[in-house]
Amino acid sequence: MITIENLSHTYPGTRKMPPRTAISDLTLAVGDAEFVILSGPNGSGKSTLFRILCGMTLPGGGMVRIGGYDLFAHPAKVRGIMGVVFQSPAVDKHLSVGENLKIHADLYGIRGADFTRRRDEALGWTDLDGRLDQKVDTLSGGLARQVELAKVLMTDPKVLLLDEPTTGLDPMSRRNFLAALHKLQKERGMTVLMTSHVFSEADDVDRVAIMREGKLLAYDTPAALKAMIGTEMVVVQARDAEGLAARLRAEMGLAVRCIGDEVRLEETENGESLPLLERILDRYRPDIAAIAIKQPGLDDVFVHVTSKAVPDHALALELRKAAS
Amino acid sequence: MTAMAPVAFSLAKREFTRFIRQPQRVAGTVAQPLLFWLFLGAGFGGSFRPEGMENVTYLEYFYPGVMLMMMLFASIFSSITIIEDRDAGFLQGVLVAPVSRLAIVLGKVLGATSIAMIQTLIFTVAAPFLGLHLGAGALVLLLMGFLLTGIGFSALGFLLAWGMKSTSAFHAVMMVFLMPLWMLSGALFPIGNVPGWMKAVMLANPVSHALVIIRAPFYGGPATLFADGSYLLSLAVTLAWAGLCLGLSMARVNRRERGV
Repeated sequence: MITIENLSHTYPGTRKMPPRTAISDLTLAVGDAEFVILSGPNGSGKSTLFRILCGMTLPGGGMVRIGGYDLFAHPAKVRGIMGVVFQSPAVDKHLSVGENLKIHADLYGIRGADFTRRRDEALGWTDLDGRLDQKVDTLSGGLARQVELAKVLMTDPKVLLLDEPTTGLDPMSRRNFLAALHKLQKERGMTVLMTSHVFSEADDVDRVAIMREGKLLAYDTPAALKAMIGTEMVVVQARDAEGLAARLRAEMGLAVRCIGDEVRLEETENGESLPLLERILDRYRPDIAAIAIKQPGLDDVFVHVTSKAVPDHALALELRKAAS
Repeated sequence: MTAMAPVAFSLAKREFTRFIRQPQRVAGTVAQPLLFWLFLGAGFGGSFRPEGMENVTYLEYFYPGVMLMMMLFASIFSSITIIEDRDAGFLQGVLVAPVSRLAIVLGKVLGATSIAMIQTLIFTVAAPFLGLHLGAGALVLLLMGFLLTGIGFSALGFLLAWGMKSTSAFHAVMMVFLMPLWMLSGALFPIGNVPGWMKAVMLANPVSHALVIIRAPFYGGPATLFADGSYLLSLAVTLAWAGLCLGLSMARVNRRERGV
């Protein structure tokens, strides 16, 4: 449904700023009715990719097809089948819920009885019942977000793009929003591409893409990504993590990685971790603030993949290993 | 792509709805020109005796000038809301919808123009007190003058506001740019007795032509005006100005950020 091929984008420089490459040679495909989360550290090029997919920015090179249409040749055709939920709300806070929905319907040429039917159906997915006349700026953050959802649902998009839609929501509102989104995606067979930093949101999706410095570093199912770093890992917190990591490498021959104040020993197999933990604790107890055995989650995959400590060629090897 | 007219109408209606929900904005935009008119009218009244206008009081002379001021400032400052729309996020939702860029420009411009026209029309109730009477035909011409002025200058406001980061920058630019244009339009003093260089600037100023087509209907019906070469010239200039600003605004909205 979404095909991105060899996409590159460099922001032209100005007198004060040199040119900055945001995306370099990115290739990615999202299948029909797939739910994909796009993640990456700040500055990884996610937002630029999002703007390009929305048709708001023209890339320096490459090709994007959405729903069979070339995005750059036929932007209006793509806009007709696409719904977009931005990170900042795209509603008029001074108008009521109903007025916002009406304007949005007008933009998509939905009128009369068709509008009323679609509006009521979309509202059925939200908790906005009985709030049609309420001004958006009097709604809670969670409900305001639901206005966005109702807006896009009215137009019944084939493809839905969301840019960190749960930012600023409390855990309950976040959960409700995502539950509605997942249910909808399944019922309507929508293709969903959502950027997110929150990995608890990624466990239920079909695939997760991780970007860094404009490149796609990993793109797989959550299970396969987690398998990349083994079934267990030993995580040690230390005041001098770099020093401890160096000693563990030199004295115990362990392939540890240092990330912030943590030393990580990944890819340990079931049963190996506990004896290892005991040996480390015996030798380095005074240096250790905390030590634990963890089952890797997607956040660990993210740290693993995006950590600058890993040279690119090592990553490429790991990715190849994971792919095979 | 969604049909253009309903989209433009819907966006214009939104502008209008937002406007009338802010009574302070309505009161302020009517009160300020009214005070200008009353104070300057009273102040200059005694000394205003230009050649050939001995029978015209300054209140009467300045009256179309104040209307022009209302149209000009209200339409330009209404299009400033494009900056708020962008900051508040509303605009991005419109830009990703399957609508033509012209519909986005027209929505804002027609919304701003209708807001400016409502304010200015409130002011026309003063006309009979000045001894000015508008026939039906003249009223239609006056409204057309308002409409063209509003479209031209709200499109100019749109064009300038589109690339601006903040509303305060827009205000600053508008005050140094717009105020002189209005002052040199003939709104405050007639074009006849000014130095040569100023006359040239005034004649080239599109605001002067807008003033001509707003002032003329108070002194002549359609038959007289359509036979008057200078009225027709000003009408043509105002029309061309509106077309130019609309065209430039559309081109500006069409321009997308491009990578290298």
